[in-house]
Amino acid sequence: MTDETSKMTDTPNASQAKPKGAFDIGHLILEGRAFFALIAIIAVFSFLSPNYATVSNFLIMMNQSAIFGLLAVGMVLVILNGGIDLSVGSVLGLAGVFAGFLMQGVELQWAGVILYPPVWAVVVLTIGLGAFVGYVNGVLIAIFKVPAFVATLGSLYVARGVALLMTNGLTFNNLDGSPELGNTGFNWLGFNRLAGVPIGVWILITVATLAGLLLTRTAFGRWLYASGGNARAADLSGVPVKRVQITVYMLSGMCAAIAGLVLSSQLTSAGPNAGFTYELTAIAAVVVGGASLMGGRGTVRGTLLGTFVIVFLSAGLVITGVSFYWQTVFTGAVIVLAVMLNSIQYGGLGKRS
Amino acid sequence: MIKLTRRQALLTGVATAATTASMPFAASAQDGGFISVIVNDPANPYWFTEGEVAKATAEELGYSATVSAHRGDTNVESNLVDAAITNNAVAIILDPANADGSVGVVRKATDAGIPVFLVNAEINESGIAIGQLVSNNAQGAALGAIAWQEIVGEEAKFVEFYGNPADNNAATRSNGYNTVLSQYPGLEKVAEEVANWDRTQGYNKMQSIMQATPEFDAVISGNDEMALGAIAAMKEAGRLDGVTVGGFDGSPDAVEAIKAGEMAYTVLQPVAVFSREAVIQADHYIKNGSAMVSEEKQLFDCLLITPDNVGNYTAAFTLSG
Repeated sequence: MTDETSKMTDTPNASQAKPKGAFDIGHLILEGRAFFALIAIIAVFSFLSPNYATVSNFLIMMNQSAIFGLLAVGMVLVILNGGIDLSVGSVLGLAGVFAGFLMQGVELQWAGVILYPPVWAVVVLTIGLGAFVGYVNGVLIAIFKVPAFVATLGSLYVARGVALLMTNGLTFNNLDGSPELGNTGFNWLGFNRLAGVPIGVWILITVATLAGLLLTRTAFGRWLYASGGNARAADLSGVPVKRVQITVYMLSGMCAAIAGLVLSSQLTSAGPNAGFTYELTAIAAVVVGGASLMGGRGTVRGTLLGTFVIVFLSAGLVITGVSFYWQTVFTGAVIVLAVMLNSIQYGGLGKRS
Repeated sequence: MIKLTRRQALLTGVATAATTASMPFAASAQDGGFISVIVNDPANPYWFTEGEVAKATAEELGYSATVSAHRGDTNVESNLVDAAITNNAVAIILDPANADGSVGVVRKATDAGIPVFLVNAEINESGIAIGQLVSNNAQGAALGAIAWQEIVGEEAKFVEFYGNPADNNAATRSNGYNTVLSQYPGLEKVAEEVANWDRTQGYNKMQSIMQATPEFDAVISGNDEMALGAIAAMKEAGRLDGVTVGGFDGSPDAVEAIKAGEMAYTVLQPVAVFSREAVIQADHYIKNGSAMVSEEKQLFDCLLITPDNVGNYTAAFTLSG
């Protein structure tokens, strides 16, 4: 029942998402627990508040899920690999501040000009910054063998510190750009809608689909599951373990940067403290979604469900007016329950097969 | 497997029971409609009082109200405003998380047709919120500095504790102190430290100051927490005797310190006054469609708490009589 047993029974099985076929009702509930939890949450809150189960509220909650969902999708890749990325909340904040900084214009002292990059360039550069932080994390972990927990804890502080340095603790408020400079449109990300659905949600759908395809349809995905399940075995069978490791941290950093762009666009401001402790929410979403923190087990679909569980729960608690102390207690209880079920699934049921 | 499903059922049951248990006040909506009160962090008695007073006033005026907390996170703040819009709130009482970062959410609520009243902190844009009700920090700082100088006299070496530099109030209070104190050439500032409004940092910084600066006879602090940290450090080193310490905020802990003779005075921020006033103005706006006070930015004067009137401190942040 403990993590130790789950580790022992862990096999370097590359395709964990698929194996089913057991007509066990308990197994079914376990497999779909995030889904059932979500249904239960929606049912309970619809009953408690007439305002909960409305189209506009679902769109709002989806939009709120976009931020945590993007972080969680990046996080699940890292966790599948047997690592952890504590820096995503700080990278989210840094990315927002960096985008805000670029929108204010970059003064090149030696050339005596101020550059106003167009919005697409701001987006590309910001995602590049996220990838760079991820690359540093990956190199520290894969090449220099710094434990993932420590390396990303370090970047958590460094990224937050750099964000504070860039703004001197203040907030960039003017992200609208101006038509003369040709850099308008940043708010499009956070405010506009396609087919009635906020852009942030579309971005989450796109990123999650790409991540899902990457995991299930490519060699890289199989390498990722393999090296997460048993790195040594994967290495011996020819998987480029180090390259996979560095890549997942880069992808996680990029997801965090995208989340930072969406958030600062939604809030029309970029503050250095944005995303404080969001890495914990992202890890919680991944765990609720059924992934194992030991690596090798988990899916993007489950992670998205986990994110919805957490966001729909907290939105429901706010809408029904439950006191903020209880909100914290409930969120904690859901996370602990999820981890407990994980141990049962990976320990108890693992012995059977 | 049965064990497992039972566990799940148990938790769902507990969750439902607890949810319904804390529901009644939200469900029993009174006629006036729903007012959403959003404060910073109720773990701090200052914000706790702010939220509770606003909620009590709203219920007294026939509204239903809930207090929620953003803890300084503009994203959480945005989500809470979304929830208020979803719940068809008739007004929002908001302590903004960030002078710049909260402009967007205030605009969002206003666009959704909900009047917003800001309390305690300002946003750097006017014309969106119906009212911004804050303490008069400049007046409070001058009030504190004058009281401090009267106790300390014209000749002294003193230490100043400075709040979080990102918060405008830190500079406002420090400027207020120094405007008054610079008129007395005999008052010499031997150390100035940033302690970010925090008690632990005030404690650590004071320990360092005592190592570096052997002599000082007064401390003036940007808030109570830093002052209390400094007092704890001096007490431990046996150097509190004869040192005058002044704070700012009027927190219950500071009042206890005044009663114990450890702190000379504190400046009370009238949080209970302006959060009540914000709800009253919201009520007026809901009923008449126009602002009760035409000026958006309204300053509320601070009061001095000294050993003489400390008995009038009847509840947290409330000075009666």
